[in-house]
Order: sequence, then C-alpha cells, then structure tokens
Amino acid sequence: MNQVSQEGLIDWAGPIAEGALTTIEIAVLSYAIGLVLGLIGASARLSPWAPLRGLATAYSTAVRAIPELLLLILLYYAGPPALTAIANALGFAGNVTINGFVTAVGVLAFVQGAYMTEVLRGAILAIPGGQLEAANAFGFSPWARFSRIVIPGMLPNAIPGMSNLWLILIKDTALVSVIGFNELFFTIQQAADSTRAQFLFYAAAGVIYLAMTLTSTALFARLERYVRRGQPATEEA
Amino acid sequence: MTSSPNANTAPDTSSSPGATPASAIARPVEARHIVKRFGDLEVLRDVSLQVDEGSVTSIIGASGSGKSTLLRCLNLLERPVQGELTIADEAILFDRNRQGDIIGLDRRQLQRLRARVSMVFQQFNLWPHFTVLGNITEAPMRVQKLSRKHAIRRADHYLERVGMADKRDSYPAFLSGGQQQRVAIARALAMEPRVLLFDEPTSALDPERVSEVLSVIRSLADEGRTMVMVTHEMAFAREVSDQVVFLDQGVVGVAGTPQEVFDNSPNERCRRFVSPAA
Repeated sequence: MNQVSQEGLIDWAGPIAEGALTTIEIAVLSYAIGLVLGLIGASARLSPWAPLRGLATAYSTAVRAIPELLLLILLYYAGPPALTAIANALGFAGNVTINGFVTAVGVLAFVQGAYMTEVLRGAILAIPGGQLEAANAFGFSPWARFSRIVIPGMLPNAIPGMSNLWLILIKDTALVSVIGFNELFFTIQQAADSTRAQFLFYAAAGVIYLAMTLTSTALFARLERYVRRGQPATEEA
Repeated sequence: MTSSPNANTAPDTSSSPGATPASAIARPVEARHIVKRFGDLEVLRDVSLQVDEGSVTSIIGASGSGKSTLLRCLNLLERPVQGELTIADEAILFDRNRQGDIIGLDRRQLQRLRARVSMVFQQFNLWPHFTVLGNITEAPMRVQKLSRKHAIRRADHYLERVGMADKRDSYPAFLSGGQQQRVAIARALAMEPRVLLFDEPTSALDPERVSEVLSVIRSLADEGRTMVMVTHEMAFAREVSDQVVFLDQGVVGVAGTPQEVFDNSPNERCRRFVSPAA
C-alpha cells in the first residue's frame, strides 16, 4: 500500500456506489428490525405485568448506556464463541460464525430498538385516553385496538423522533467499518488511503451521507404530513 | 323493579329494537346490587337498575353522585366490585373471590356483549386518523366482521339519519362539537346495538350546539330505541324519558316516571335537585 495509485474519483465510483448501497441496506434492515423491537419494547414498558416492564426497562436503559462501538466489537468478537458454546450445548456440533453484515445489522437494530422503545412509549402515552376507551367500549380485541387505534394514533407523535433516529442510524453505519465490512465509510477509507487524495474522498463521503439524509428527511416530512392528515394545520404549518 | 330469576333462560337473539313483545322477559340491561369502589371511595353503594326494551332511562344527580360510574358499569368500562349484571339477556360471568367480590371476567364474553351496547361519550372520542366514514365503519368491520361494502352501506344510512351525510369524507378535527357528537351517535348506531348509552352527550358542547344533538337523541327515542342516558338537561330528560333515576351519594334516591321524580318526589334531596329555586 506504499504505492500511490493514480486512480481518481471516477475509478472508485463503482466500489463507492456499492458501499453506499450496502450502507443503505444495513440502515434499512436495522431500522426495520429496530422498529419491531421498539414496538415490542414499548408495549412491554407499558404492560400491566411488572416482570415484562422490568425486562423492557433493563433493555432500553442498558443498551442506551453502552457505546454502540463497544457493542459492535463485543458482538463481533464474542458473539461467535458464545453462539458456538450455546449450539454445542444444544447438541449441534461445529462452529458458528457470524458474518460482518449480520453483526452490523444485529447490533445496530438492537441499539435502535432501545431508542425506539422510548420514542414509541412516549408517543403511545400521548394518545388521548378517550380514543382507547372508545375502542374498548365497542368491543375491539386487543390486537384490533393496537393495530387500528394505537399505532395510527401514536404515529403523529412518534414520527419526529423516528426521523431523528433514522438520521443517527445512517451515520452510525460508519461504525461498521471497524469490523472491516465493506460499507460506504470503509470503502472511502480504502480509496483515500490508496490514492492519498484524502480530502477528495472524505468530502465525497460527506456529500453522499448528506444526500442520503436530505432525501430521507424529505420522505419523513411527507410521511408526517400523511399521518397528520386528520389534524388541522396549526402552529407547524 | 323486581327482578325475575328466569331472565337468562330465554335469550332473545333478535337485535332489532322493539322486536320483542313487551310481555316477554327481555333484559336489555339489568344491574342488581352494584357496588363500585375507587380505592377507599365507595362511589356506588348497592345500586339496582332495570331497563325495559324500547324505553328511555335518564340518570340524573349531582356531580359525584356516581351517575357516570353507573353508566360505565353497564358496559363494564368500570368493573363493579359486587353485584350482578345482565346485558342483552346474557348474565355477565364474573370471577369472584371467596368474599364474593368481583376480581375478573370473561374477556370473550365482554367483547361480544360490548358490541351490543354502544356508548356515546361526553368528549365524543372519535378517532382522529379516520374520516367520518372510517370512524363509523371501523367497529362493524373489525368487531362484527362485516364486509367493507356492507359496513359502508350501514354507515351511510346512519350518517343520513343524524344529518351528517355531507361530511362523510371529512376528518373529525374539522367538524364542530355538535357535528362530532352526531357522528359519534352514528358510530354507535352502526353497531345496531341492543342498548345505546349516552354519557352526558351535550355537556362538552357550546350552548348553541346542544339542540342539534338533543334533537337527534329525541328522534331516536321516538323510534323506540332502548337508551340509558346520563344528563344534566333536566327539561330534556323529563320530556323523553320513560324512567328517571335520581342518584344520590351512590344510591338510588328515587326512581320512577318523570312525573314521580320531577313533580312530587318523596325524596327531599331530589326535590331540591330538580327545582333548586323552590
């Protein structure tokens, strides 16, 4: 790697585009899983059953307290031996290996889930009690109430926080580069090192991250308009 | 107000109001010896109430007399501590502890019977993310498993009934309080319930909006629907009710015809409540 390559941005465009795509894949997948974990976590946090509440509180508190980078490295190095031990104990022979993609998505989703738990919990608590009472009074099943009243009812309150989490997540994907996985940031590092055109490539990375976040901010704005369709435009309009 | 022990042996499966002959033992709603406590506060102390098919019952009384709590016990939004309850000819199956206190109930039965007793709330409680039409079709589709087409036909019928057909595609937040309450009445009617419960339906409205809601309720009374209503509108209660129940500190002070309760009640507190000037 001592040789300075004469390649420029154009030559690296292919790998960088691939890296960017991988970044988006990691982000979308972790976000989706994190959203499911957050819904489960928030429901558990609001459960009348104390052990469930305790478990969800422990999850959201502990995960939010530990740096993502540490969790990522921890799971990447300690995950396979731990899973191997569990698998062997259950009678499956052999070694369990986790690839970088699964580790990345797993850790980021786990962390997202913890933050999402808190965002969704607050949003659910903000639903006027009368709306839930009306659902009860009409004989809704718990699932019908959750899917038809609670989720659409909390979304207007949750979208700003969810949008924030998404932006943070896109940027957190850069952490995945420490486990040597070929996402956008890792590819940029390689390009910068091999061409010595650090400023060019890191600036390009900045522009790409900016493009991703601006696009998603616009999408979230549309989503927010949609979930607030039943509310008269007031202070925010 | 005597209760027949045979009330539950002949379930009436028809849901249309007024279909049962007056002589049959129909029990749209019957509450016996209901006790309700919030912590140490005893809100209802042995209240019994029988509602006849096709009748209008008004529950009146001062704030804190327990009238809303009684109404909310009738669809089990509040779970009584003691007592027995019959809804749509079916006795509620309570789990009780050794002292006879109610500690739980059958969720499936509860969901089924709640679909037969619809409530109109003081604060309307429409769902803001559904249009007017969506608010009305939601429960028939989710709870009664009606097809969308059938639910929409029903919704349009009842929207017409409450004079809100032109607002079917609006969202609730864009309607006045009176309009929202009329939509809420259509939402309750669309379940084609055996009994309609009204919890102070006009108390949250601007004065000029009260009459539009009262006239809808009056027209429902005129078509013979079974209704139980908590209200502060004394003149209205007197005009539409078959039975008036005056609750006082958690017990039934007086119950009877509007004349018995409003004109010459033997209960002094009731006399003072219905005509404070006298």
